[in-house]
Amino acid sequence: MSQTKSLNVDYNYSVVRLFALTTVLWGIVGMAVGVLIAAQLYWPALNFDTPWLTYSRLRPLHTNAVIFAFGTSALFATSYYIVQRTCQVRLFAEKLAMFTFWGWQAVIVSAIITLPMGLTSSKEYAELEWPIDILITLVWVSYAIVFFGTLVKRKTSHIYVANWFLGGFILTVAALHIVNSMAMPVSAFKSYSIYAGAVDAMIQWWYGHNAVGFLLTAGFLGMMYYFVPKQAGRPVYSYRLSIVHFWALIALYIWAGPHHLHYTALPDWTQSLGMVMSVVLFVPSWGGMINGIMTLSGAWHKLKTDPILRFLIVSLSFYGMSTFEGPMMAIKSVNALSHYTDWTIGHVHSGALGWVAMISIGAIYHLIPVLYNQGRMYSISLINTHFWLHTIGVVLYIVAMWISGITQGMMWRAVNTDGTLTYSFVQSLEASKPFYLMRFIGGVFVVAGMLLMAYNVYKTVRAKDETLQPVPAAA
Amino acid sequence: MPMEYATIHSIFTVILFVAFIAFVIWAYSKKRKTDFDQAANLVFEDEQKAQQKTKQESDHE
Repeated sequence: MSQTKSLNVDYNYSVVRLFALTTVLWGIVGMAVGVLIAAQLYWPALNFDTPWLTYSRLRPLHTNAVIFAFGTSALFATSYYIVQRTCQVRLFAEKLAMFTFWGWQAVIVSAIITLPMGLTSSKEYAELEWPIDILITLVWVSYAIVFFGTLVKRKTSHIYVANWFLGGFILTVAALHIVNSMAMPVSAFKSYSIYAGAVDAMIQWWYGHNAVGFLLTAGFLGMMYYFVPKQAGRPVYSYRLSIVHFWALIALYIWAGPHHLHYTALPDWTQSLGMVMSVVLFVPSWGGMINGIMTLSGAWHKLKTDPILRFLIVSLSFYGMSTFEGPMMAIKSVNALSHYTDWTIGHVHSGALGWVAMISIGAIYHLIPVLYNQGRMYSISLINTHFWLHTIGVVLYIVAMWISGITQGMMWRAVNTDGTLTYSFVQSLEASKPFYLMRFIGGVFVVAGMLLMAYNVYKTVRAKDETLQPVPAAA
Repeated sequence: MPMEYATIHSIFTVILFVAFIAFVIWAYSKKRKTDFDQAANLVFEDEQKAQQKTKQESDHE
């Protein structure tokens, strides 16, 4: 606080740079695997009759790669950056921060090896076997030490709201991972959950939905609360709302898990509780979305010229859309139609590709020039092209899954007057088939955009220091 | 048994609800306004430092 004003803090960018670059790399890998399995659903021969190329083994690889390799790398990069810049202090325990980088890469590589081999705990989004789980725990505890250590030695009196979201994400994910991964190992690569029956299911979806709530939501909201104001050049619309947003969101999310288990062996009251909490969750979600989007009020014209800002703001629109859709799908009667259909897949991707990927991509485009001493990215028009490729890809994907999902739901529940099923399962598959092609095409668009991003990032990183001048702001 | 689970949970829910309302009132109180406005600008403080380096400004926090 009483530091000499002229002293510029020497931030640690090396670990931020590494995570920012791997975000792009793992984004391409994870999404490309997604496109491959989307293609397999349309052209089943694409598994080449090879066990480790089958849909069942590659699907968890896809989800792990996009959530934990792409998304979480983006969170590591941005959280290490945000916490330093808003606390005006260099990272705490820098060697440990470097360990989180290499440790996390080791986790990702282990996933890439073990999942196609069929080694899995069979818990969705927590498939990795127990030795890898232990490594994740070590990395995550180190992450918490680095992050909170930096907060402790901060030079500012206030802890900026983005850090609250990031801190909440780090702590909760630690608890979720440790509790859900409790298992009895029977061999080096096989273990059994210590929970049984409906309790196991509930623990799994308490974990599963809070991975959505705290990793894919709270973490990325932390990103949003820094990069949206920064890129827009104006402070967040309402700081008060951001604080209420934080507490309301974390207090409610933790209860929403049971909506994944409607009409199962889970007690009825637990299902209803999960439904009610999920519906209420709509309020803080939209509060946060409005807070982010309204940050631009009075500066809407910037959207016309700044494709990075467009990534960030459109990500919030997708966030608003999926946080409206989510509570609706959590209502039991709606869930009776939507559950186990492609509608769920569409919903997840409007959150994952629309919200999570777009805010991360926007943040990385903002970060790369800063980290490599440039005024801007190598090509602004390529960012613009990426924006349109991505947006078109996501829309194709979501629309395809909506139509396919609702069709499936309607066909599965249709009964004849004598009570027999009107359609066979294969008939519903035939109805979905054209939309699987449409989804595949959407995915190709998204991956194409990511490849452009990789090229743009490469050119920016390789350019001589300060040769890329910022574009003067439009009047 | 001293108290039913349902009773304990009901009391706990009411406490949480009241705490949340109190918290919202605190966040929106006039007293907090200047502090929060300052906090909202923390995002831009890191850049001001760089400018101060050249301009040699002597403003206090």
